[in-house]
Amino acid sequence: MKETNIDFSQPQRQSLLGVFIMFADSLQEMARALFPIIVVSLLSEKKKFLFYAITAAVVLIGTLVVGYFRYRNFTFIIEGNNEFVVHKGIFKKTRIGIPLHKIQQVNINQNFLQRLLNMYEVEIDTAGSSKTEISIKAITAQYAQALKERLLQDGGKVKNADTDIISQKEVPFITVSFASLLKTGITSNYVRSFGILLAFFISTFQHLDEYLTYVNAKDSFINQYFNTQFLLRFVAFIIFMILVFTLIINLSRTILRFYNFKVLKQQNSLLLSHGLINTRNTIIRPDKVQMVTVGRNYFQKKFDVNDVKIRQASDLEQTKDRAKMSTEIPGVNQTEKNALLEFLLEKMPERGFAVKPNFRKMIFEVFKYILIPVGLLFAYTKLVPDVADVLYVIPFYIVFVAVLIYFAFRNSRLFITPDFIIRQRGAWDIDNDILAPHKIQGIKLQQFFWQKMSNVGTIKIYTAGGDVHFGLANFTQLKKLTNYWLYQVETTKKNWM
Amino acid sequence: MEEPFINDTIDTTVLPKFEDVQLTPLHPSYIKVIWFNIALVFGIIAITAGFGFYYINDLQPYRIAISAGYIFIVLLTITINVINFKTRGFAFREHDVIYRSGAISINTTIIPYNRVQHVAVHEGPISRWLDLATVEVFTAGGVGGDIKIPGLEKIHATAIKQLVVGKIDNKQTKEEEDIYTSATKEDILPSEEESNNEGNQY
Repeated sequence: MKETNIDFSQPQRQSLLGVFIMFADSLQEMARALFPIIVVSLLSEKKKFLFYAITAAVVLIGTLVVGYFRYRNFTFIIEGNNEFVVHKGIFKKTRIGIPLHKIQQVNINQNFLQRLLNMYEVEIDTAGSSKTEISIKAITAQYAQALKERLLQDGGKVKNADTDIISQKEVPFITVSFASLLKTGITSNYVRSFGILLAFFISTFQHLDEYLTYVNAKDSFINQYFNTQFLLRFVAFIIFMILVFTLIINLSRTILRFYNFKVLKQQNSLLLSHGLINTRNTIIRPDKVQMVTVGRNYFQKKFDVNDVKIRQASDLEQTKDRAKMSTEIPGVNQTEKNALLEFLLEKMPERGFAVKPNFRKMIFEVFKYILIPVGLLFAYTKLVPDVADVLYVIPFYIVFVAVLIYFAFRNSRLFITPDFIIRQRGAWDIDNDILAPHKIQGIKLQQFFWQKMSNVGTIKIYTAGGDVHFGLANFTQLKKLTNYWLYQVETTKKNWM
Repeated sequence: MEEPFINDTIDTTVLPKFEDVQLTPLHPSYIKVIWFNIALVFGIIAITAGFGFYYINDLQPYRIAISAGYIFIVLLTITINVINFKTRGFAFREHDVIYRSGAISINTTIIPYNRVQHVAVHEGPISRWLDLATVEVFTAGGVGGDIKIPGLEKIHATAIKQLVVGKIDNKQTKEEEDIYTSATKEDILPSEEESNNEGNQY
């Protein structure tokens, strides 16, 4: 496996099977672009089979040709022993060059199609510019391995010669069992899935409504089927369905994404691999880690599963990339979590001195999440009296949000030791963001003019892996902490990356 | 829970306090840039509204309401901008840069020099005419954590840029203390001398 002597100083192409992957890629893009047209033509009354067959054939052949040329024109080479260059494009030729020493990490991944064809994808991440990220879609395992070694060898950063794609022999540092995944799946992401499902049901109802109005059947339909009892049962049924669906969706999402989650320790980095259909490999280097978030909710606490999110240094402006740079390790138990933290942060973080938020935090949030929305809704129903029924929701909303605000306040803490800053937050899912003071990039203190009298304010700590906000809290204390952290950053010998 | 912070409480009383630093206000003529910007935006709105009143008859009954709203917003904008101008101030300490701004909320941002990625100086058309420039200090912490100091005399701005770049490049060298003292003096001294000072340093 190791004695690959491919000469990367000559232009290289992907495997011939890459044509199919390029084809599938182009087809996907095409389908996405033409989606509205496809939908419209399928819905149109006149169905001419021949017309569709011909169009489909033309599109398929066209895409195949495009795929072939994309394959032909995609070459990569190591130029002058210090720059990795990719040439690509059919009409618009692009040359992407990355100096070898700028390469941060090389990931080898496999999606479903690639797995069928026994091909691998090589992804090259650079420090700084996310725009020039390169991905080579179809090469064989040995080839991918050789390329990776070659790319990382000059930088002298990670000499992970034994970063094999799938090294079964090694004993994993952490293996997330299927049971843990099940536990995580049924206990996480309630809010998000619930929101998505609610949106889905509402839009379905709207369509139904439109349809019924369209066929003039609305009145008779309503008279026939809608009475109070039916409505109540119907609503109960819908809520039940939403809950069931939430569970199923969460569970399948978790299993799809995280199936067979393995963490390997290699010299001074972690290698994660996971996925049921698409296998993803990620390398994590402790010195690049800016922040680690440990999250769990009440159920997860009972089940002893934690969700660990690792945020690495990412490119500046783009928040989208920042989200991508956060790597999640689901379903780890207390001991595994501690081992992870100790490895990533060099030391087990302790909670230390606790800063509590001021009770005015709740007042502020009541304004923001209760008074203003409810006021707006009232104003709206005054303008459009038809929808006044909506107002029945208000008491439920107020109670629900008030409970959330209260628990969020109770959980909100900032823990400080000389080595770590831990921000705890959340109402249901309680997250602990852990960062070391030398990762701080800048600090911002914010105080609204009405907060001056009560001497409260907010602090924002900026790191290359995201921001940490805390407040409202005693402003004098926050200033003191700011001075302390500045002192720590300014005297530290440690680099943030 | 108990022992780690005890060290800190002793430390924090001795640590230099950023809140006690005397901040340098922006150059007085920067207010002209602010006036110009406000005039430009609201001038355009006023002209559009004027055309609207003239040509669209349906707007007739709302004239007074619209005008009142307009005047209210203009006054609000002016107040906010003037307060903001007065709040804004900056200081370059030995190890970090402090910038304060805001009207409704007062924001103080502090960036240590050893976390600065790069520094940029740029001038808008009006600023150039007034011989002013903006200094931007970037970190890897994202947009929110960056500092943008407008309304600096151009010579001053370049001097600051040189200073910060110097801090990034040779953090360890002893000389930086001298640069620091000369730079902090610049904030008070007239600009002629500063430029000479900086010129000699680099």
